[in-house]
Amino acid sequence: MLKVQEFLKQYDGEPMRIMEVCGTHTAAISHSGIPSVISPKIRLISGPGCPVCVTVTSYIDRLVSLSMEPGCAVVSFGDLLRVKGSARSLNDARALGGQVRMVYSPMDVLKLAAAEPEKTFVFAAVGFETTAPVYALLLGEAVRAGLENIRLLTSLKTMPPVIDWVCAHQGGIDGFLAPGHVSVITGSDLFEPLARKYSIPFAVSGFEPEQILISLYALVRLRGRGVVKNLYPSVVTARGNVQAQRLVSRYFEPCGAAWRGMGVIPNSGIRLRPEFARFDAGSAELTQDRGFHSACRCGQVLTGAISPHECPLFGRACAPQTPQGACMVSTEGSCYQYYVNRRD
Amino acid sequence: MCVAMPGKVIRLDSGVAEVDFSGNRVRAQAGLVAVKPGDYVLVHAGCILQVISKQDRDSLADLFEEIEELC
Amino acid sequence: MKITMAHGSGGKATSELISRIFAANFKNPVLSAMEDAAVVPGAGTLAVTTDSFVVTPLFFPGGDIGRLSVCGTVNDLLMSGAVPQYLTCGFIIEEGAESDDLERMARSMAETAREAGVTIVAGDTKVVEGGGGVYINTSGVGFVPPGRRVSASLCREGDAVLVSGYLGEHHAAVLSARMGIENRIRSDCAPLGEAVESLFQNGVRVHALRDATRGGLATVLNEFAAASGCCIALREESLPVSAPVSGFCGILGLDPLYMGNEGKFAAVVDREDAEKALAVLKASQYGENAAVVGSVVPGEAGTLLVRTSIGGTRIVPELYGEGLPRIC
Repeated sequence: MLKVQEFLKQYDGEPMRIMEVCGTHTAAISHSGIPSVISPKIRLISGPGCPVCVTVTSYIDRLVSLSMEPGCAVVSFGDLLRVKGSARSLNDARALGGQVRMVYSPMDVLKLAAAEPEKTFVFAAVGFETTAPVYALLLGEAVRAGLENIRLLTSLKTMPPVIDWVCAHQGGIDGFLAPGHVSVITGSDLFEPLARKYSIPFAVSGFEPEQILISLYALVRLRGRGVVKNLYPSVVTARGNVQAQRLVSRYFEPCGAAWRGMGVIPNSGIRLRPEFARFDAGSAELTQDRGFHSACRCGQVLTGAISPHECPLFGRACAPQTPQGACMVSTEGSCYQYYVNRRD
Repeated sequence: MCVAMPGKVIRLDSGVAEVDFSGNRVRAQAGLVAVKPGDYVLVHAGCILQVISKQDRDSLADLFEEIEELC
Repeated sequence: MKITMAHGSGGKATSELISRIFAANFKNPVLSAMEDAAVVPGAGTLAVTTDSFVVTPLFFPGGDIGRLSVCGTVNDLLMSGAVPQYLTCGFIIEEGAESDDLERMARSMAETAREAGVTIVAGDTKVVEGGGGVYINTSGVGFVPPGRRVSASLCREGDAVLVSGYLGEHHAAVLSARMGIENRIRSDCAPLGEAVESLFQNGVRVHALRDATRGGLATVLNEFAAASGCCIALREESLPVSAPVSGFCGILGLDPLYMGNEGKFAAVVDREDAEKALAVLKASQYGENAAVVGSVVPGEAGTLLVRTSIGGTRIVPELYGEGLPRIC
């Protein structure tokens, strides 16, 4: 490990720009102080891998209005509560009498729905490939238990199309720290076509500081080569969790998805299949992305086109107590992480 | 996205596992992968995503060797 | 018996509630006089503080709102270098609360007050509409012995930073109860008189003290860094966190540095006294897991840093938001 750390610290070759596409990686990198132990020639860039950050305003607006409807309650992970839509966040809605429940697992909705059958519980189903199987399990259980009062408002996204979008529109990335827990489900092969297409290395990485360091080492060493290296073999295989993939495709099908600041990217998301439409809370038309501060540059931050510092709002109008964009709201957002850790 | 933690399956009861994380017991859905008591598993949002094969597969020394071979 | 609005009327029901539950448990000559105000002796430099206690659930592993309401105020007095002496307590009770629960809280308060060496000299009860909740306010008075001066603004470069034991236990115990996570984590809720006094009695040159309650150790040390215009650096490996709390934090994505404690404090002491302070704390009640966790270093004023296990550095900011369980 010393060899790896020494290499990364002393590195003086061609500048490298490495993107981590997973918000949990972003948080782990800041938490362990990785930027302070590697050469300034290796730049770490946070990509569009925080589901809260890439959620569009019309999705939040829809959740807010559902929470205000009589007989309806919105159920969500904690992170989403602070994100503002065009006017309000779910926290604001709660203060105005909106029904919002925070849970640790989507499965907790089953208990809520069984206890109050006259109320409709809408789960704010955000996430990537990692979380999609959890929603599929939830639907399976809901069907089995005959619970008719559960709905999903989906904003479910898939990684490869957005990575493709970043490479095609932005370019300038020399390596990807591939999302470890997404890969548990999808398998590391998922990234092969992209690696080959752009001749960029992908390292599937765990989340411990040492695991991230060795993955960065691999990416620097493999610069310019279109290969995928699985460095998280205890849980990631080439093909992933096939049972989970099958379960997801039983309930969901690919669709275009709207990403904050990037617009709709074809086939970059999944939605409920028509035969399960009765579980949908109106997810389809939520592609509008408007209302946030006109100078907010979340979209470019998310794709690594600019550093958070280059946004005119960063650290001024936009700070953790007064977030203007989702990247400052989420504790995994690049702007939040750059602000609190004063990364530059 | 995707905080997930390794824990140990204590018991299994009709598709729901009781998983121990350093003395914290949590119920987790076991519908995504076959598990048995004693397995170490990765849990995300109340569901078991995968069984952890021998943790020493992530041995940094071995991974380092693999990278060197590739280069 | 359930508490009703009648118990707050000021009439017979009120006086019965007070005499049966509160006066019976808190009995002492000052309180028993039942005057409008407590008249007590005292001389010297006064320390005065007040705190209100709101917690769900009211009873949790390792404590209850009654014990909490005594510890919180007693510890605040201790952190200013004072010897706590008197407490007052105000109960705001929602109708529907169980009188048996109130009895348990009062007994717990009385026991904790005895342990902490303070006398409850005045009290008040109000009943409001609601669903059985109980809120307690306590105020405390203590006296600062001559020559003692501790303040958040007195940290100096080179000083050692200690913490009196495992972090995050109260927060984890209460949150576990709320979220249905089973574990053996107990709240650390405790009066810290013995630990604090023993530092002074053993001649440790104490510069700053603060109990690491809401917002955790990170909040307290950020306050020290700001008030003293200094930079504090912690060593990640030296932070005392028990294995169950560490596991609990992993599940919910919480950071023990920000988690609330009700029986832990941070002490900034002269560098030369660091080892003595550690030995004294370890020998004191509730202090067996005390640790030297860092020091005041040259660097940007008002900053708290952590040196991580891989030799990196990260800034630990003040807490933003509510510290919600994180999934993504």
